[in-house]
Amino acid sequence: MISFFQESPREKEGDFRPGVQLGYLLVFFFVLAVLNLSPPKTLRKKHFFTVTEREMTDPSDGALVPRADPASSRVYRFSHGLAPLAASPRVSISWGRGNSLRVSLFPPDPAASVCGEVVELDLAGDHDAEIDDVEWRRIAHGSVSPFAVLQNKRNSVLALEKMGPPSLYHLEWWEYVMEYSKDISKLLGNSKSVSTGVIESPTQVLKTEQKPTSLKAAWELIEMFYADRLCQAWLPERLVDWLSDYDTLFSASSATVRSKLVEFQNDLIRIQVIEDNPRYWEVIGSVLAVGWLEIVVKLLRLHGSYQLHQLSRRETENGLVEAVAVLISKMPRMRHELEGGRLGECQKNRPDFTRAWEKWRAQIMKLDCSSFWVQCNHLPTREGLRNLLQILLGNTNSLLAATHHWLELFISHLLYIRPLTSGLDSMYSLAQKCIQLKPVSKSHKLIRILIGILSENTEVVLAECSKEYGPWMVAHATELLTTGSDEAESLLRDERHNLGEISLEELNRIIYAQVLTSHALTWQIAPVYLMSCIKQGVGLLEILLYKQAFRSNRHLHKTLEICRLYELDHVSSGIMKIAGLYHWKHGRKGAGVFWLQQAGDEATLNRIAQQLFASVGKSLSDESFKQWEGLVELLGSQSRNAGGLEFLYKYRDFKKSLKQISDGKNTEAAKKAVDSLISLMKNPSTPQRFWVPLLHDSLTLLNWPGRPLLDVENTNLLLNKLQELSLARLLPEFVEADVPSQAVSSVRLALATNLGRAILQE
Amino acid sequence: MEKSVATLGKGAASTAWNFAGDRLAAGSVDGVLSIFDSSGPASSSFSCTSSTKVHEASILKIIWVPPEFGDAVACICEDGSFSLWEELADDTLHAQWKLAQRFKGTSIKVLDLQFRVSASSLKMAAAFSNGYVKIYEVTNPLELKDWQLKAEFQNVLDSVSLSGKVSCKSASLCWNPSTGQAEGSCFIMGFRSDSPQLNSAKVWEFDQLHQRWLPVAELALPEDKGDPVLGVAWAPNIGRPYELIAVATQRGIAIWHLGLTAELDGRLSTERVALLSAHEGEVWQLEWDMSGMTLASSGSDGAVKLWQANLNGIWKGQATFLPTS
Repeated sequence: MISFFQESPREKEGDFRPGVQLGYLLVFFFVLAVLNLSPPKTLRKKHFFTVTEREMTDPSDGALVPRADPASSRVYRFSHGLAPLAASPRVSISWGRGNSLRVSLFPPDPAASVCGEVVELDLAGDHDAEIDDVEWRRIAHGSVSPFAVLQNKRNSVLALEKMGPPSLYHLEWWEYVMEYSKDISKLLGNSKSVSTGVIESPTQVLKTEQKPTSLKAAWELIEMFYADRLCQAWLPERLVDWLSDYDTLFSASSATVRSKLVEFQNDLIRIQVIEDNPRYWEVIGSVLAVGWLEIVVKLLRLHGSYQLHQLSRRETENGLVEAVAVLISKMPRMRHELEGGRLGECQKNRPDFTRAWEKWRAQIMKLDCSSFWVQCNHLPTREGLRNLLQILLGNTNSLLAATHHWLELFISHLLYIRPLTSGLDSMYSLAQKCIQLKPVSKSHKLIRILIGILSENTEVVLAECSKEYGPWMVAHATELLTTGSDEAESLLRDERHNLGEISLEELNRIIYAQVLTSHALTWQIAPVYLMSCIKQGVGLLEILLYKQAFRSNRHLHKTLEICRLYELDHVSSGIMKIAGLYHWKHGRKGAGVFWLQQAGDEATLNRIAQQLFASVGKSLSDESFKQWEGLVELLGSQSRNAGGLEFLYKYRDFKKSLKQISDGKNTEAAKKAVDSLISLMKNPSTPQRFWVPLLHDSLTLLNWPGRPLLDVENTNLLLNKLQELSLARLLPEFVEADVPSQAVSSVRLALATNLGRAILQE
Repeated sequence: MEKSVATLGKGAASTAWNFAGDRLAAGSVDGVLSIFDSSGPASSSFSCTSSTKVHEASILKIIWVPPEFGDAVACICEDGSFSLWEELADDTLHAQWKLAQRFKGTSIKVLDLQFRVSASSLKMAAAFSNGYVKIYEVTNPLELKDWQLKAEFQNVLDSVSLSGKVSCKSASLCWNPSTGQAEGSCFIMGFRSDSPQLNSAKVWEFDQLHQRWLPVAELALPEDKGDPVLGVAWAPNIGRPYELIAVATQRGIAIWHLGLTAELDGRLSTERVALLSAHEGEVWQLEWDMSGMTLASSGSDGAVKLWQANLNGIWKGQATFLPTS
């Protein structure tokens, strides 16, 4: 798999500025996706597969932008079955389909009794260990239809635009892209918001869902920033939802709110008095900070003061807990809609939100200053709840303490300090601030994509997508990227001289198609992507189709079907020609002729007809006559003008009647045979070189017992032909017929005898 | 990532995959040609399905005939001869590899040969140890016997051929793989010899008007013209406005852009866009992938390397593969 990634001057995360980009910052270059193989995985393999030091010390570690050392490429070792050798084996290389490279390894000394081996290197590698091959193929097949539908829509929109002034369609283009994006997103698996997973069991606050994939997370990230115009006004809330879906993905590399919550839930059953446990309050604070309000409220209601037997004793305490819970569930949220079961009050526009926000904060402050706190005797509850209020009020220290990953801190700022943040600039500077407050040793791939988006650097986004998720992602995400950003559109759609006058978009599709062609189960969908490439797609498709195996009929029909679909008639006739010749040469003559006819290959059919001539005048066994007859029949069915086929037809009829009279008794049949013979000899299409063989074949007729079958006129005709032949023999281009040496004299004798008999009879 | 697809017999000296990549031919030191097939289109495990003794001497190189002319290979043997073998089946028998034509070796050895299909014929260009290339042609796809010698010339720019004895160690030859032009055919050829004029890689094109082969480009910088050529590879062109050719010398692998249309003097414009220091030791083989975007090379250091250009047109090594037992 070939992909892009980019190099850039060495920068630390904190140094990254959106203004510094394009041209200077990034130089994409193709790189084999094998570079993404992770050492531990490959080392786990049974075979020895070493990764050199260069790989272990990935120069892009911890950097915002991945880069390769431009001076040299990476080194991979692959195993072979040759016994340990003193010197390195001799190698020979050949490209297989798509991106597989076949390497033949020979022992350095060919005379040694060591066997050579052929090894196939799959350069498509595995980009994403979280998705296996089968799953990738499912995604690849599933994404064909949304992709094709979108391309069709684009073509019709372009056609409409050509016809008149900018139409309404153009304005709604992003909606088509969103349909496409949703279809693709569905393919990438189900992600269920953590906060909707609150369960009935009192001890289970978190539903353990199937782990979401980072591929889907990346897709959604790109969708929300580039394609979804509807959510532009409430991006902060979209990000809150996104994190709640995917926070678990960050847990592997660092502590997250989600991981802390899971740990706490696991211990929940063992904790006696929950409100006495400091972790209870910590977890609630963390969960609140990232805005999973449903879980917060659920956790708060586990507070001991809710228990019936304690309610009367801890009335004030319970009132405070409930007041906080109610305030939390009344939090105004600047968003389009809130699904059922989600807490907060949905505000669709800024003025409404601002009013509600002020009112809500006033209520929090009022509660914060309330005298009830003094009456609350339970210290952990009092402090825990007041911490929650501080979080709600956007106290930076409280938020900092409550969150783990900088992204969580970022989200908490968006929720409680800057809910009206809009514009990527401000989000980006906020992200920078959060990164400084909570630095991470190694940035997650999703984080790198997010930073690319926030810094409005599409190249980084593309490069990360390519590096981390491979050509599928790049080929499909391009549609989203070009929808939301002019910069991205020009980056991806402008034709570049260095790429051979194609755009990056086209290049990405070609690269993806090439990956698809590497596998027997996916090559069939590559044409869809190639046909969307205006400049070079057809060229590659033709090569791909020619390279398909034609030995299996099923495969051949599939290939021809694709040719028909895309109107590549010259390719299909070429393929049928190859198949025809293959069958012909492998003894399946009928199939050979059939395919050559389908291909319209008159030249080869003519040559086959010439080969059939060779049987003229030979004594054929019943079996081979049948076969010969069948071939003549087959050849004649479509291409009547193929070299002297008319003669072959007549000759076949003649030969048939000759077979019937082999016993020398059936005079009627013999009469018919004579008619055929005369018609053959009269016909100008009968090649001269066959005259003698024909007459030689007819000796039985000429010497027919009982009465002569040929009359004087016909006998003279045949004698004249013989005379003509002896004159023609003097010419240089005369071809001697392949008959026994005495054939002419025996024919002459038979004719003379017949003439005598015929005269007598008349 | 790596997967063994076939185990070659003892003494295997050369291999070649057919155009579709679904058959493997292997030649051995004792002159046996083995064919490997997979059990089905989806299978990636190949096993030997036939073995034919084709020669007494070792088979140095195998070249598949394009599929338009059947399943056939040319075997270049150590003694400098080469022969064409074709898989044929009679109606009842299993397919067998049969000799189509043997080109006897003389003191002049064949060094490399390559095929190309044009609209009505199959062309074979064979490079010999005296610095000559011979172009043979066969028109009947049913018979690979009747080869006609159509042209014979040396790899030099002047029409006067070299005087004196020329000795070439190896030759590299590659046809333009594009299927687009029906009749117009051209190839690139370079030698490794003791004669500097002969060495440099030159592009030869058939001049329809005068029915002769003309050199239309020389892929060497003025100061490197005498460099022996170790390998050449012409990239498939799926729509680029220029051709892409890789030429290996001891200086490394040079990547050339070749113009598509002739300039006033009849030559094609050339530009060397990269010189890659490739292998420690000699470059053995150059192979372009099906889109012409990635070049693979192998060398005497036992390594396989992959090369690609970035968006700025800068060529770089992207990966190196080293076999280990």
